[in-house]
Amino acid sequence: MKKNLRNILSIALSCTLLIGALASCGGNGEPSAEKNQNVSGKNKENPATAEGGGEDRAFEAFKTGVLVADVSGEEALAFRDYYENYIAEQYPIEFLYSEQLEDAASERSAIEKFAAQGCKAIISFSGSDRARQIESCEENKLYYAVASGMLDDKQYEEHKDSPYFVAQIGPSMETEYNAGREMGKYFLEQGAEKIALYGAFIPNPMHVYRAAGVLSGLGLSYGGSDDKDAVAGQIFQDQGIKLEKVSGDQAELAAYFQGYGDTTTDELNAAIQAEPDAFISVGMATTFFTQQLNTSAVPFSDIDSFTSGNRKAMEEGELTYLAGKYSSSVGPVIAAVINAVNGHPLRNEDGSALSVSQDYQVASDLESFDRYFKADRGSSPIYDKNLLDQMIGQDTDLETFTKLVHNPA
Amino acid sequence: MQNSKRERRKHKFSALIRALFIPFLFAAVLSLISAANGKAMIPNRSAFHNFVIYTAIVMLTTMALSINLNSGRFDFSLGAMALFSSLIAAKLTYAVLGGGPGSAVMIFVLSLAAGACLGLISGLIYVLLRIPPIITSLGVTLIYEGAIYTITGGRYVMEEVQNASMAAFSAHAVYALIIIAAVLGLMIYLFNYTVFGFNYRALKEGQKVAVHTGIKEIPNALACYAISGGLMGMVGFMNAARNTNINGGNLNFSSVGIMFTAFLPMFIGSYIGRFINTEIGFFLAALCMSMLNSCFAAFSNQINASAQAIINALLLLLFLIYLSNENLLRNVLQNTAGKRKAADHD
Repeated sequence: MKKNLRNILSIALSCTLLIGALASCGGNGEPSAEKNQNVSGKNKENPATAEGGGEDRAFEAFKTGVLVADVSGEEALAFRDYYENYIAEQYPIEFLYSEQLEDAASERSAIEKFAAQGCKAIISFSGSDRARQIESCEENKLYYAVASGMLDDKQYEEHKDSPYFVAQIGPSMETEYNAGREMGKYFLEQGAEKIALYGAFIPNPMHVYRAAGVLSGLGLSYGGSDDKDAVAGQIFQDQGIKLEKVSGDQAELAAYFQGYGDTTTDELNAAIQAEPDAFISVGMATTFFTQQLNTSAVPFSDIDSFTSGNRKAMEEGELTYLAGKYSSSVGPVIAAVINAVNGHPLRNEDGSALSVSQDYQVASDLESFDRYFKADRGSSPIYDKNLLDQMIGQDTDLETFTKLVHNPA
Repeated sequence: MQNSKRERRKHKFSALIRALFIPFLFAAVLSLISAANGKAMIPNRSAFHNFVIYTAIVMLTTMALSINLNSGRFDFSLGAMALFSSLIAAKLTYAVLGGGPGSAVMIFVLSLAAGACLGLISGLIYVLLRIPPIITSLGVTLIYEGAIYTITGGRYVMEEVQNASMAAFSAHAVYALIIIAAVLGLMIYLFNYTVFGFNYRALKEGQKVAVHTGIKEIPNALACYAISGGLMGMVGFMNAARNTNINGGNLNFSSVGIMFTAFLPMFIGSYIGRFINTEIGFFLAALCMSMLNSCFAAFSNQINASAQAIINALLLLLFLIYLSNENLLRNVLQNTAGKRKAADHD
């Protein structure tokens, strides 16, 4: 009896171990296993014929896969909230989100899964290897769009004529560089001399260009060069910033670190111990470091978005400068995807994939912060249905679309 | 009588000197290296707070690892336990207090309790399955990591642990000092002055003989797992306060890294423990590791994270080489001294 009981217990516990092991296998399950991907889409009562986009228009209902590298940051969550709780209410689109993607292989695997799940398009917020993402989408006959970012010029030239590459709408590398430069200049003008710099996820191109811009704004050269492309090229090559290559009289780079992992807290502590006048981040600092920087009373800046957490950090904490996006700034990209899926893709005049640069908005006080934060809330985003409807449909032309991307107000 | 007392005092003094030798060596070498490069190992108050909190984390993890490892039970699940217990505590606390005053205390208490429960579950699985503990601990690690991932969706848990109360903990060394003192006192008492401690040591030295004398090994093993889990619960709390988040995306044994931070201090601590109490040995070893960590912080612009990992690994290797060849080394030294004496006589 006792032996039987032990056997039963052993079998039960072995099953538990097995289930636990399978549950922990995360993204390696079968493509049809939706358990690992969060599905949303409220307007899906009749997926085949659901209508949306205005009284006189009928859109094909479809699923869109969203590739994300960040699943925790406020900016990422705000974008997701806009898609899932606003766009999915207004248009017959079902959003399937990937897990946190950390490399090109996981991006490719996620695209294949989305294809197997019947997605018609992919919107990418993940930038490990966008060229390979496009190739994977071509192989799986999926429309592809880059949101809140852009390919580098060489990659864009290579892939712009692909019929599956719909659009890239976000800050261009030039815009990223300028955003970094303005941030560096701001602190220099404020009298900061000793700077700690967080390089976020270099060699992600947007972080590389922002970091190059910060160095320029601080009046620093890198590897003896001040030229934008030369500095960015060296940062790419070094896969980060090497302090011994930084030179200049106006400011001192007292600490530098990048990435996020087991040693990041120690690196942040080391940067704070260096007692910098300012902590400049080219991304994600508001997600990871706000509390430590507030506690240590180190003024900091970031390129992120206009979220409630960042508002609090600016009002009560040490966040003094934010170059940001607002949550509905990813609206135009979904408009471009709807157009493509419904058979009337909007292309550049030469037939290449749409490429429109979006600027950052800058806030260095609560008043300027609220200008964007309060105008872009939950059910009344800046890119609301009225505005998006002007960007969707056969009648929409390139000029109108571009104008609305640059100036939605 | 007098002579015997003097001998004992002399012996104690000699043991104390030998116990303090490694920490002093660490302090001297690292201070010299820092000073030679125009830096200080602990340059300011913020660095001191980090130093104390890191000491507490390493000491607790080392104790948690050694409790079971000394009895031949290798436990891979320590890191997962720390994460899971702090996650449970943070979620419950946030649901009740919403990040308000008292959050840190509540997370600490709940994390300690959750850690003890998770440790006990781990122990029960080992006791019931009766398969090698290294295998059960691998399974438990996967289960706990899977559960964390399911609860968090693979995201970092931030809102629940980012509040003024938690910030106050990481900004002041005094709380970590209190934890160090309390845990050290309790562990010394538990393992040296209680029946549980006597039984633990008897089982550690020879399980078969101990069991034949009437010591029940299962309750003792379960208690060890629970204590180890409780310690890791505290580590989970301190890591959450220090990192201002809990990583919910640990899968496929990626939580094991938390446990591996304790290997070098465990060997150093056990070595120091030969001359003084083992628990104090772990504390002194944690001090050494924290000094090294502070030195890395001072040189963070020169020594990056991967170089730090290599240095740690090298130190572990060197120490293990020394431990394995200690007798050989002593014989060589004695022979050399003997030969020198003989040469002097001639």
